[in-house]
Amino acid sequence: MYWYGSGTDISTDPAEVAARIRTAKTDMTKYVPCDWKQAQQLGLVKNRHDYIETLCRSTIHMSEEGIAACSQEKDVELLQMVRTLDEMDTVINLLTERLIDWYISITPAFSRKYRGSAAGAAKLLPMIGKNGTESMKKIAREILSMSNARTNLMKEVSRIAVSVIPNMSALVGGLVAARLVSRTGSLAAAAKMPGSSMQVIGAEGALFSHIRTGSPSPKHGIMFQHRRVHNAPREVRGHVARALAAKLVIAARLDYYRGELDAKFVDEANAKIDRLMEAEK
Amino acid sequence: MISIDGTLVSAGEGGVYGERMVGGHRVWDPYRSKLSALWYLDKSTDLSSDAVVLYLGAANGTTVSHVADYVESVYAVEFAPRPMQDLLMVARKRKNIVPIFADATQPQRYAPLLEAADIIYQDVAQPNQAGIAIKHLPFLKKGGVLILMLKTRSVDIRKSPEEVFADTCEELSRAGLRVQKSLWLSPYHADHAAIVCERL
Repeated sequence: MYWYGSGTDISTDPAEVAARIRTAKTDMTKYVPCDWKQAQQLGLVKNRHDYIETLCRSTIHMSEEGIAACSQEKDVELLQMVRTLDEMDTVINLLTERLIDWYISITPAFSRKYRGSAAGAAKLLPMIGKNGTESMKKIAREILSMSNARTNLMKEVSRIAVSVIPNMSALVGGLVAARLVSRTGSLAAAAKMPGSSMQVIGAEGALFSHIRTGSPSPKHGIMFQHRRVHNAPREVRGHVARALAAKLVIAARLDYYRGELDAKFVDEANAKIDRLMEAEK
Repeated sequence: MISIDGTLVSAGEGGVYGERMVGGHRVWDPYRSKLSALWYLDKSTDLSSDAVVLYLGAANGTTVSHVADYVESVYAVEFAPRPMQDLLMVARKRKNIVPIFADATQPQRYAPLLEAADIIYQDVAQPNQAGIAIKHLPFLKKGGVLILMLKTRSVDIRKSPEEVFADTCEELSRAGLRVQKSLWLSPYHADHAAIVCERL
C-alpha cells in the first residue's frame, strides 16, 4: 500500500494520507517502493514536480502533527524550566565571580577571605552594590534581581514537578527529580531506563572513564544532590544510591504510564531506603 | 560537484543557516558537513542531477539543503522534534525536499511514502548503524550507492574506533553490499568514517 492509497480508497488529501500512514503495516520482505508514474496514471498528479509537491503537503502535515504531539507531552515545559534554571545558575555564578574580580582590582585593601564560597558571594554582592562604581552597582543589582527570579523559578519547578512526576518527586524531591528527567531527555526515556543508568546520570565523565580504563565506577550522579544520598554514611552511600535508583525508575514508570501518586509504593520505597541507612549505623 | 578555487559550493538560494556565499554559490563547509568532508578527501564523490536521495538523520537540514541543490529530490528522515522544525523551514523553501518525521530504525512505518533511491545517505547517531542501513536496502535501486557516515563513538564506546569501522564494513559486505571505499573523515571530523558501498 502506498501513501496515496489503493483500490477504492485513493486520495492525496493530507489528513487522509496521514490517517493511512498511521494504520499502514508494511511487510518489508515484500516491499516495492512507490512509483510516481502510478500516481500519474491514477490521475492524482500531473507530472513529477506535482507528485513531489503533493507528497510534501502530506509529509509536512504529518510532521507538524507529530511535533505538536511531542510538545504536548506534559513533561516538555518542566524540562525547559529546569534547563533554564541550571543555565541561570551558571550565568549568575559567572557574573558574580567576574564582578568580584573587578571589585578587587580597584580595591587594594580588599581581603580575599570572602572568595570562593557561596556565602561569601552573597555577602559581597550587596557590598559591591553599596561601595562599587556606578556600573558595578548596576550590575550587582541585576545579578540580585536575577537571583530572585531564579529562586522563584526553582519554587515553580518543584511545584510543577510534584504534579507532573509525583512519584519521582516524592522520592527525591521535585527539583532533583526534574533534573534527572531533564538529563535523561524525557519522561518517556526515563521510564524505559534501567536503574543502573539512572544511578549514574550526571556522572557520565566518571562512567566512561570507568568503562575505558577500568577506574572505579561512579556511585551516583545527580542523585547525590538528594539529602538521602549525600547524608548517607560513606560505607552505605553506594547501597543507598543503588536502591534509590531502582525505586526511581519504577517511580518514573508509574509517572509516565499512570501519572498519579502511588502512596503505597512511595511509603514502601522510602521505608526500604531508611532501613538501609539504619542497618549500618 | 561544483567547486570554486578548490572550495566546494552548491548552487541555490542562500541564507539557509548563515552559510558564506562565493560567486553566487553557497559554500559547503567540510567542518560542518560530513558529505562535504568526504568530497575534500575523495574528489570522485558526486551527486548527479537526476538522482533521488534517501537521507537518514537529516537533523536541521543544513547538509540536506546542499544535497537538494545538486539532486532531483531528497527524502529526508529525522526523528527529533526540535531539529525537525528547522528541517521543515528548509523544506518549505526547497521544493525538492520531502521531510519525513519518523524513526529511522522503523522504516516500515514510512515505507509507503518512499520511492526507490539512487543514493542512500545515512548520518545517524545510533548504536546499530550498519543494521539501520541494511534495513533500508529495499529502498535502494540495484547498482545504487549507500553512503554511510559512521559515528564510531555511538556504536560502542568500549571498542576502538578502528574495530568498530572494520566490524561495520564486514557487516555491510555480508548483507550483499560491495564496499567501494572507506575512509576516516579526519581532520574534519574526529572518530567519524565514511563508508561508500554499492548494492549488487
